[in-house]
Amino acid sequence: MREYLKTGITLMVITIIAALVLSVVYTVVKEPIANAELGAKLKAIREVLTDAETGELLIAAENIPETASELAEFEWFPAGFDSSEGIIYTATSSQGKVESPAYKFVKEDGSEIYVAIGIAVGYGGDVKSMAAFVSGPNGVSLNAIKVLEYSQETPGLGANIANAAVQQRFFPIASKGLDKGVRVDKDAGVTPSGDQIEIRKQEDGIVTVSDVMTGATITPRAVAFSLNAISEFLEKAGVR
Amino acid sequence: MAESKFKVLTNGIFKQNPIFIQVLGMCPTLATTTSAENGLGMGLATTAVLAMSNITISLVRNFIPDKIRIPSYIVIIASFVTMIDMLMHGFIYDLWKTLGLFIPLIVVNCIILGRAEAFASKNGVFRSFLDGLGMGLGFTASLVLLGSVREFLGNGSIFNYHLSDVKMFAMILPPGAFIALGMLAAFFNYLGIKRSKPKKAAK
Repeated sequence: MREYLKTGITLMVITIIAALVLSVVYTVVKEPIANAELGAKLKAIREVLTDAETGELLIAAENIPETASELAEFEWFPAGFDSSEGIIYTATSSQGKVESPAYKFVKEDGSEIYVAIGIAVGYGGDVKSMAAFVSGPNGVSLNAIKVLEYSQETPGLGANIANAAVQQRFFPIASKGLDKGVRVDKDAGVTPSGDQIEIRKQEDGIVTVSDVMTGATITPRAVAFSLNAISEFLEKAGVR
Repeated sequence: MAESKFKVLTNGIFKQNPIFIQVLGMCPTLATTTSAENGLGMGLATTAVLAMSNITISLVRNFIPDKIRIPSYIVIIASFVTMIDMLMHGFIYDLWKTLGLFIPLIVVNCIILGRAEAFASKNGVFRSFLDGLGMGLGFTASLVLLGSVREFLGNGSIFNYHLSDVKMFAMILPPGAFIALGMLAAFFNYLGIKRSKPKKAAK
């Protein structure tokens, strides 16, 4: 009995010390972790708020959020959507979801920019993509995207989605292309080349990635699903 | 006679290399070596855990009853892994994101528990530290080598530096991990056998 008590107490002491040390480390790194997460998000917001054609910011540089409180000012919760579980919308037409919150920015000319994070399942796990949609006289168009989470994708294959050159294939897309739904070329059953890459993207929402991501279809498909989920969310919210 | 400190350090790198000679820690080895960079990150994180857990286990080895030594070692190792995970999350965010799930899985890397049981629980603090460091560096070097071979053959690059246009995608997929590991293990064992033959002949 005494031996059992001794071993039990020893194990308890070890776990208590481990828990104490971990709580101290957590207290120290809590802020750097929050800063790292926020920094990555703010950097992505700045990127998607850059005009895909001119390379200039869509809103004044001083209006781009740089802190958590500044970012909170742009949070957008359209009426009729429940965001209690971190997801503001689950798509019905594709296998994608939209993370809560979404953000709304206003350009100097009064037109609106909606930024949201879409989630869809890739090859090894969730693929998260941030996208900025801009409203204009010809409807809502996709300005830019930034793939945020792809850590479970196969390096050298699906993880190539991290390359800027690959992500640029997804944007910009005009309202017409968004209406037809974003698809990767393999799913659309076509292989555009040359000028057709841009034309088919704008006209039909077909994103050509088979030449830059050979052997990996699931990851870019997940990005396409994410974009369709955000597009559908904006439609349901009465924006598109 | 006890081995010299230098030998304790270099054993893990060459003579008792955990991957190619002892064939330990195969799960992270096969899973994370899709590129040289991933191999390096995983190897260094494991080295830090190995060195710190060896030091701690050596320090408390006389206080832990024999019956609960394994659960105690696991608690200690898991604590260090959680610490490394949190520190990487806060300070090297990009690498932490790339390695993803593999960092928490260091807990179940049998090299760490193996060295705790075989070495740290029987030796002093400094020697245990050297053993952990040596084994960790051996593990890191092996992962970087394996990752480089797979990245070069599968993606035509090493550390993202483009070297070739020949891309055999299978090499960065699971079958490529087994093929590359088998080839390298055979090569290193061949070298070991070749080196030991003249010594036997001399005797």
